[in-house]
Amino acid sequence: MRTTPLLPALLLLAGVPGLEAQTEYHARIGAVGASNLLRDVIVNEITVRQSIAPMIALGGSLPIGARGHRIGLEATVSSGKFHGSESGADTDLGTLRTGTLLVNLEGPLYRAFRWRVGLGGLQYWPPDRDGIFTSGGTTRLLAGAGIDYRRPVLSRWDLMTSARYDFHRFSTEELERRGFSQTQGVSRVSLSLGLSRSIR
Amino acid sequence: MTRRALGTLLGLAATTACGDIANPIRLDFYEWRLIVPAVPGPGNDSLSFHWPRNRLPVRIWVEDAASLRDNIPTAIGAWRQAFLYGEFDAVVVSDSQTADVVVRAGAAPGIEFSRMRLHSALAPECAGATDLDISDDQTQLELPIRIYVDPRSGPTAPGLPECLALTTTHEVGHALGIWRHSGVATDLMFSDPAVTAPSARDLETAEVIYHLTPNVEVAGP
Repeated sequence: MRTTPLLPALLLLAGVPGLEAQTEYHARIGAVGASNLLRDVIVNEITVRQSIAPMIALGGSLPIGARGHRIGLEATVSSGKFHGSESGADTDLGTLRTGTLLVNLEGPLYRAFRWRVGLGGLQYWPPDRDGIFTSGGTTRLLAGAGIDYRRPVLSRWDLMTSARYDFHRFSTEELERRGFSQTQGVSRVSLSLGLSRSIR
Repeated sequence: MTRRALGTLLGLAATTACGDIANPIRLDFYEWRLIVPAVPGPGNDSLSFHWPRNRLPVRIWVEDAASLRDNIPTAIGAWRQAFLYGEFDAVVVSDSQTADVVVRAGAAPGIEFSRMRLHSALAPECAGATDLDISDDQTQLELPIRIYVDPRSGPTAPGLPECLALTTTHEVGHALGIWRHSGVATDLMFSDPAVTAPSARDLETAEVIYHLTPNVEVAGP
């Protein structure tokens, strides 16, 4: 059961004969924005938020069934500033890197548009063991969905434009140690553009 | 079947999406303000201070004696744990002329040098003091803050290293804005502390101070 999500990746890496021709790969660059990571009150309200950050996405997929559905893996890495805000004043808290890995199911939607949904994880890599990340980074369960638009540009390559939404619940060991309870719902939206091996 | 699956999915999504993180209520702090006789003018008799964001990191010059070069970075680290949002930071600098805080080994000089002195850690092995040069109207703090850590016993005296370490951290607590002693012996900011690190109450007090508006500001640019 545990090996199931790894199967597409292993197949992609192994270049299984016969599957290679049906394998789709893609690479995109774009930007990702996120809602508040945290809301706290110490006399005044304090919020912590990531700035809009550049993002790189790499992925691949294999066909499943005869209706144009595919299953695949997609990894993203983003790096951007995060800051705290209190009474209208911002404090730079450094550069926060995030990485995601999603197992995706995708299918045709309308003409060149395709839908996708996925489940996976998101890792926060803080700049230092400091502040809310005093106990280090954190890994969170991630659910995502998105729409891709593909436009042929070469015989075997498509221009791929993607809009993604994902959601996770944020907390850190340090916040839990300090008595924060529950977790913060964080929504992220990304737009990206890249090339994909054609799936026509 | 599809409808049921969709309903389940929507229910799951609603469950996971609802509710935000809940912050702890900070109530476990003590009085940190320095109580002084009121003066004409603003009339403040309870002085409150923290380093403003634009002065961070606070520059600390340290004399190379009494283990201060080792103990000051440890003290900075101990107090930084109080903060979640970059409220305080300090660095050791090599030029005492540009320092915000000057830390020296030895007994504090005569009181005429400074207007206000916070005495602490009057243990047999060592003592500490922090001098604050506050303007006549009690609204401006002239820099630098001066800290003295005095090893009153011989260098091989038992308990001296521990006394110097905790006294240094205690005095840095004064320099960051805790201008009054805690009344609880298990706090590092107790007048004659015995614990080696800031307690949860000490850290919460420091944290709260940095989210209140002070009535004493750093003088000058």
